[in-house]
Amino acid sequence: MPRLTIQGLREKREDARREAAARQAHLKGKIAIHMGTCGNAAGARGVRTAILEELDQRGMTRDVRLTVTGCAGLCSREPMITVEMRNSPAVKYGDLSAEKVRKIVAEHIVAGNIVKEYTVGIGSANGAPDIPFFKKQVPLVLRNGGVLDPERIEDYIASDGYAALEKVLLSLTPEEVIDEVMRAGLRGRGGAGFPTGVKWKVCRGEKKNPKYIVGNCDEGDPGAYMDRSLLESDPHSIVEGMIVAAYAIGARRGYVYVRSEYPLAIERLRSAIEQAREYGLLGDRILGCNFDFDMEIREGSGAFVCGEETSLLHSIEGQNPEPRQRPPFPAQVGLWGCPTVINNVETLANIPVIVTRGADWYSTIGTPTSKGTKIFSLVGKINNTGLIEVPMGITLREVIYEIGGGIPGNKKFKAVQTGGPSGGCVPASLIDLPLDYESLKQAGAMMGSGGMIVMDEDTCMVDVSKFFVQFTNDESCGKCSACRDGSEALLEVLTRITDGQGQEGDIEFLEELGQAVKDASMCGLGQTLPNPVLSTLRYFRDEYVSHVAHADCPGKVCKALIKYYIDPDKCPGCALCLKNCPAGAIQGSTRHIHIIDQAVCTKCGECLEICPPKVSAVVKLSGKQAREMRSLDAPIPASEWKKRRSEQAGTGAVQ
Amino acid sequence: MNAVERNSSVGAAMVVGGGIGGMQAALDLAGAGIKVYLVETKASIGGAMAQLDKTFPTNDCAMCTMAPRLVEIGRQKDVEILTLSQVEHVQGRPGNFTVTVRKRPRFVDEAKCTGCGTCVSNCPTRNQVQPLESAPVELEPGRRQAVTDILARHRNRDGPLMPILQEINAAFNYFPETVLQYVAEQTGYPLSHIYRIATFYSAFSVVPRGKYVINVCMGTTCYVRGSQRLMEKIGDMLAMQPGETTPDLKFTLKSVRCIGCCGLAPAVMVGNEVYGKLTRKDVAGVVRKYQEAS
Repeated sequence: MPRLTIQGLREKREDARREAAARQAHLKGKIAIHMGTCGNAAGARGVRTAILEELDQRGMTRDVRLTVTGCAGLCSREPMITVEMRNSPAVKYGDLSAEKVRKIVAEHIVAGNIVKEYTVGIGSANGAPDIPFFKKQVPLVLRNGGVLDPERIEDYIASDGYAALEKVLLSLTPEEVIDEVMRAGLRGRGGAGFPTGVKWKVCRGEKKNPKYIVGNCDEGDPGAYMDRSLLESDPHSIVEGMIVAAYAIGARRGYVYVRSEYPLAIERLRSAIEQAREYGLLGDRILGCNFDFDMEIREGSGAFVCGEETSLLHSIEGQNPEPRQRPPFPAQVGLWGCPTVINNVETLANIPVIVTRGADWYSTIGTPTSKGTKIFSLVGKINNTGLIEVPMGITLREVIYEIGGGIPGNKKFKAVQTGGPSGGCVPASLIDLPLDYESLKQAGAMMGSGGMIVMDEDTCMVDVSKFFVQFTNDESCGKCSACRDGSEALLEVLTRITDGQGQEGDIEFLEELGQAVKDASMCGLGQTLPNPVLSTLRYFRDEYVSHVAHADCPGKVCKALIKYYIDPDKCPGCALCLKNCPAGAIQGSTRHIHIIDQAVCTKCGECLEICPPKVSAVVKLSGKQAREMRSLDAPIPASEWKKRRSEQAGTGAVQ
Repeated sequence: MNAVERNSSVGAAMVVGGGIGGMQAALDLAGAGIKVYLVETKASIGGAMAQLDKTFPTNDCAMCTMAPRLVEIGRQKDVEILTLSQVEHVQGRPGNFTVTVRKRPRFVDEAKCTGCGTCVSNCPTRNQVQPLESAPVELEPGRRQAVTDILARHRNRDGPLMPILQEINAAFNYFPETVLQYVAEQTGYPLSHIYRIATFYSAFSVVPRGKYVINVCMGTTCYVRGSQRLMEKIGDMLAMQPGETTPDLKFTLKSVRCIGCCGLAPAVMVGNEVYGKLTRKDVAGVVRKYQEAS
């Protein structure tokens, strides 16, 4: 493959489009299998084999085009496929298995009848499936996710890929590119929300050379995986964003730092870089212009702190991956002492969109201070788990109830945790909060990388903040004592509280210490680690108080404060829980009311889970209820209990 | 005091005591462009820290903290070391001190000595330990070839240490001690630095690990959906605790912080393979699959 010039790229795009159209003409239909990491984990490979076999048996391999694409966003319904027959809308099927796809091939592909019971959504006129999950989204960055084959550069080029690079090289000076990005109002998508254009301008203004551009895909926040999906489904948009950024700041070399937990993302990005190099989009004299740039992947090795920019740079250099004091900022003194721009990969993926469609258009999306769209990963206690791309300023209500489809099991929505271990909780009372950098910050949370963990009434907020502090305590690099020892002390007190050993003054101590850690830590990890504690204290102080003062866990989560109890009125004596108790704590026999031996019970919750929903005899109790709970001394026949019950009906209640 | 006097400070500083604190102070001052006299009463700098193994409370290796500073002081032209010396008298005021130092004799002209050690070997009364020459690192031929190949691939690369270590970790599944020594010898990175990196990242290990590393995701979503219980189940099946390796070197059980499969929580990753939406029964099946695999 000869290296392309600008003219060559245009011809290539025309060719690819013509080819696609020609293919379209004799194809009966297309099937896209969504094979991201989550799709594969759910069994997409088996689905693919089944489709291939089925098509092969029917001799239809030439009539139907099978493509492998990245994630379609709705992770809870994986494995998914999209079937698009000629002259009919695209249909998304979910929760598939080999048998189900065989049926789909037989009925939809061959006979043309949509298999209604497996559908997730049917495409409307403008393409998006007709369910709220897709309708409310504005896919800019994820526009190619689940549509294009990430391993084929031709597909990307055909859908206006590398058009931004073409435009930049043909008609814009680096200063104009920076100006465009500044006017678009793009802010960093990694968390802090620093204006991208300003960062670039500072770096360009530095006299020292060489300059570097680094894409940060060390996505360590638990519950956030948009960067992974982006790399898996549309790696070329990152490559293009990197090249344009390099052009703007004057860099000749770039790195993408990807965490090693994402092997598929690394593989797809690597193949994208190789293809781009082959096409003359990377290397010397890009597209025949006087501009050289090349990039490589650097892998992390499992350290959360490496997501912090100075620590990330140290890791690339092979130094101790500990953060350092800023200023000087990396844009001034970065990789090997040279000016370096570090952008989150989601930020970089926005660049081609801004350049091709223009800053004026881009800045119409979003709020006055937060422009564009943001990808959130909607996870936790929510019906539609998945990745969503929505305009900034959308309300939490729309996200949770319309896109997310509400909370499963008719439970009450309690709070949403945004920004991972650095963020905070937004309580249900702020459900109409617009999602943008400022509003979230004001509410005590932060945008962070966009993880959004939904919690229902069964969640204990003290336990949640303990979980996050445990995480940051584990991941603290130990360089500065405020973070190292502060997280240790916070964890100690939180553990004490969840163990039911809370003392008077603990809550005030958490507040004071949290503030101190915030003020005294050097890098972002330490400065934000008390956020989960402080924000839950702000909105759910009563939960802390009830743990400490009343030994009551309102979410019924903290093991030390709860007891499992079998309601004799409901227990039919089916012995299901008895057989499944791993600790052997349940006594009884068939047709006998079971009782739980509290001394043996490990509170694993197996009995609660196994008890059939229509019986639901097992309940969790906490606080006063747990203390005053009286169970039977020994298992008795269910009939015996009924008799006792009716005898006592007149004299008083039994407990 | 008049204005002239106030401004007439001299551009030099004296650090008294050549222990770890004194060394760091001298380096910081020299780094700021100030000429430093480092006074030490013993025959060499280093102080008490040189005698320690670990330091409280962080358990940092004392020699690892000290050694780079010793080397740097030796190289730093702005630091003049006065050994066997004691401060007798200090006069003046901040910015302009005059210090009297008594230097005891070493009986060797420090200006001319090259540190060749001939006097030691020729001394008729010598009974001291001789400085050893470091022996070249012995490595089994198979390993040597693998490591040499990896090193060759990254020879002309910027910041090669991480990629080198990642490849070695992938090749041997852990860092054998001799391999790290060999890498230090070949690349010129101090062994202490390599150890620092090798022990920082959770994906690296300095003890042997199993063929299959089972990573149970403990990210928020998986945690909330019961990944702790998957961990317990696997631990029960393989009779091991998290962080351990089975004696036959087949399995290592670990927790990992989010593998980004929150839509499929709880998830477990074995090698590079991800399994989602697992129950305890499912996970038993997954483990069995690998137990049966050779």
